[in-house]
Amino acid sequence: MFFRLLWESFRRQRRRKALAGVAILLGTTAVTAMLALATTIGDRIHKELAVYGANIVITPKAANLDVKVGGVDIKPATGNAYLKASDLPKLKGIFWANNIINISPELSFKGEASSPALGTQFIPVNAHGFWFNHKFGEQVTGVSQLNPTWQLQGRWPTSGHLEVAIGQKLAQRLNVKVGDYFRFMQAWDRVSLITGIVSTGNELDNDVFVTLKSAQGLANLPDAVSRVEVSARTRPEDAFARKDPDALSPQQRDIWYCRPYANSIAYQIREAIPGADAQQVRQVEQNEGNVLKRISGLMWLISAAALFAAGFAVSAAMATAILERRAEIGLMRSLGASKGSIALLFYSETGLLAVLGGAFGYLLGSGLAAWLGARIFAGDGAISGSSILNPVLLPVVVVLALAVAIAGSTPSIRTALQMDPSTILRADA
Amino acid sequence: MTKAPHKPRLSFTGMLRRSLVHRRARSLSALVALTVSAAIATALLTLYADLNTKLHKEFRNFGANIVITASASTPLPPNALAEIQRTAGPDALIAPFAYAVASTDRGTSVVVAGTDFASVARLDSWWQLAHWPTAPNAALLGNRAANFVADEHNVKLTYSGKAITLIGAGRLTTGGDEDSRIYIPLATFTQWTGINPTVVEVQVPGGAVTVEAALTRLRTQFPSLQIQPVRQLVEGESRIVERTHALMYGSVLLIALTVAVSVLATLSASVLERRRDFALMKALGGSQTQLMSMFLLEALVIALAGVALGYIAGSAVAWGISQINFHTATLPRLSVLPLVLLLNIAIAALAALFPVRVLRTLQPAALLKGE
Repeated sequence: MFFRLLWESFRRQRRRKALAGVAILLGTTAVTAMLALATTIGDRIHKELAVYGANIVITPKAANLDVKVGGVDIKPATGNAYLKASDLPKLKGIFWANNIINISPELSFKGEASSPALGTQFIPVNAHGFWFNHKFGEQVTGVSQLNPTWQLQGRWPTSGHLEVAIGQKLAQRLNVKVGDYFRFMQAWDRVSLITGIVSTGNELDNDVFVTLKSAQGLANLPDAVSRVEVSARTRPEDAFARKDPDALSPQQRDIWYCRPYANSIAYQIREAIPGADAQQVRQVEQNEGNVLKRISGLMWLISAAALFAAGFAVSAAMATAILERRAEIGLMRSLGASKGSIALLFYSETGLLAVLGGAFGYLLGSGLAAWLGARIFAGDGAISGSSILNPVLLPVVVVLALAVAIAGSTPSIRTALQMDPSTILRADA
Repeated sequence: MTKAPHKPRLSFTGMLRRSLVHRRARSLSALVALTVSAAIATALLTLYADLNTKLHKEFRNFGANIVITASASTPLPPNALAEIQRTAGPDALIAPFAYAVASTDRGTSVVVAGTDFASVARLDSWWQLAHWPTAPNAALLGNRAANFVADEHNVKLTYSGKAITLIGAGRLTTGGDEDSRIYIPLATFTQWTGINPTVVEVQVPGGAVTVEAALTRLRTQFPSLQIQPVRQLVEGESRIVERTHALMYGSVLLIALTVAVSVLATLSASVLERRRDFALMKALGGSQTQLMSMFLLEALVIALAGVALGYIAGSAVAWGISQINFHTATLPRLSVLPLVLLLNIAIAALAALFPVRVLRTLQPAALLKGE
């Protein structure tokens, strides 16, 4: 009997059911979409913030003091200390290794360059050995990944001494273009091929770029790296992050160590690579954290507003739907149905609607969030199918829909049950 | 109602007033619904309108986005700083830098920079130091540079034979090139080395368009100087602001639409419930137009009241959200009012008109009999 009532109610009152169902569906769609966007916004904005470059820099601890103004080495150090390129794979062994997005080691050295435009004259240039699209474990990383604003015309050089890329301003000075040959390093009697011209927008536009391996050979510093730039996904710094880990109690230190603060990652790098000094780049790290916090905070607050608005809309729709059916309640009561069984029937209807509407709303909202995210953050690499549907959100959304629907219909059910059946029936005659 | 002798006819406004007052619970729930929709629209639109300003303000902390470099052959013109400030705009932050390579008491070469600490404090807020030095002979030691100085309190430096002793004002940590330098006040620096500033860092607030405009102005004003944007900052800021903007736009549309449709559905259901009123009025000789305008006017009155209340509530919500998130207030914006008004009136009008169309085909007699 109960199930027949339930079934008939859905079959016959399609318009009323549709009203409440649509309200629940729309509400859960909006809430799911907002929550799905809010939970992924951190990663997405973090990817955007990668434009700012490295947030951790590793240098040799025993290195001489840099004498650099405007990126130009004034007094190149001799007999300097270097990091070892063969130590770099140790970065994959640190606790937060998975948070390291890009790594770009560098070896700078002095060279000379000449071109037909200069005749036999050589001009001094700064040269840098970098990784270009280097396979580092599973990742493909290097200087171009770390500096997405660099514009490259042509391609990056490959290992082998005869290929170089040069900065845009140097190309102008030498009057060369991609595919030309020029003399790099006076000591060589061979010419080098210019595979690419780079516009960096800073002082590196005057420099020469070769692969790290070539640089080590040219500078006669096998296995040497002068600095490593690291871009890592971090958690914005808070008061706890600024603590000195060695002054903390063992438990506190473990907590500190296991949180992805820039400071903890730098600390783990210092532990992993002997003789390395890793520091957060405060200009990038501090401000990125702030921007990230603000934008995701905004999304969460707006999600809360969406939650409130949807909750309100759903409970209002439920209240109206029940209010309309007072006559039914009156009829059932006059036919001898107990208050409890009527309430059970109405709550079952509400619950069924909420679960169905919530589930469909979840699917719709997840799709909407994926579509919006893909449109807005286009070109950041498509997200995989599994990340479109966030399974954690499903129970959250359905339970929310259920709670809101029941809360919205309770006052109407109660008033309807308290009224005298005969009054209701007469009023609605 | 016809009992009042001086008012034999039922006036339109009288009916409206009575309809609103008599069915108080229903009017109230409609009012609440329309208030919520107006409040949400107001809050989101206010936040949206203020978003660019708020985000650009966050990005100001990234420091200079334009760097002006002079060389030995083309020095900065006299009173360059005032000129640059005038050209870049009153909101721009500028800081001059002069560099020299001196040697420390340990004989290590070190870059010494002369600058105006008050300007740098505003421009480079990420510099980590105990307190900004104010003394004319203070020296701020970069974290790495400090290791190459024998006495951190009495910093002895030599530049081309001229020695100077400065009072150490603590260490500076940035994680960048600054760590390897020693910073001293510009006046002291110039007096000691005879070198004038060669680099001016400028921070122009706003997105790529504003920065480009400032760049063009600066380049026309100072054709001999090298003026470069800090590309990653300008591009990054524009990208992120643009994307957040789009995200907000999508969210605002989504939420506004949800609330609008839900409120519409609820309201039209409650109007539909009044089919008996409708039938009675029709039986008493009301024309379709009269009935429609009656329902419509009732809805509009409620919608207007909803906008008035919702605008206040929504502005308060926007203020609260921005206070929590950005730590600055967002003031109510009158410019969002027309849009909110339009949205609410559209919801109310649709909610009133949709049921009337459904009811038109019904026979009043059948309705009154309860069929």
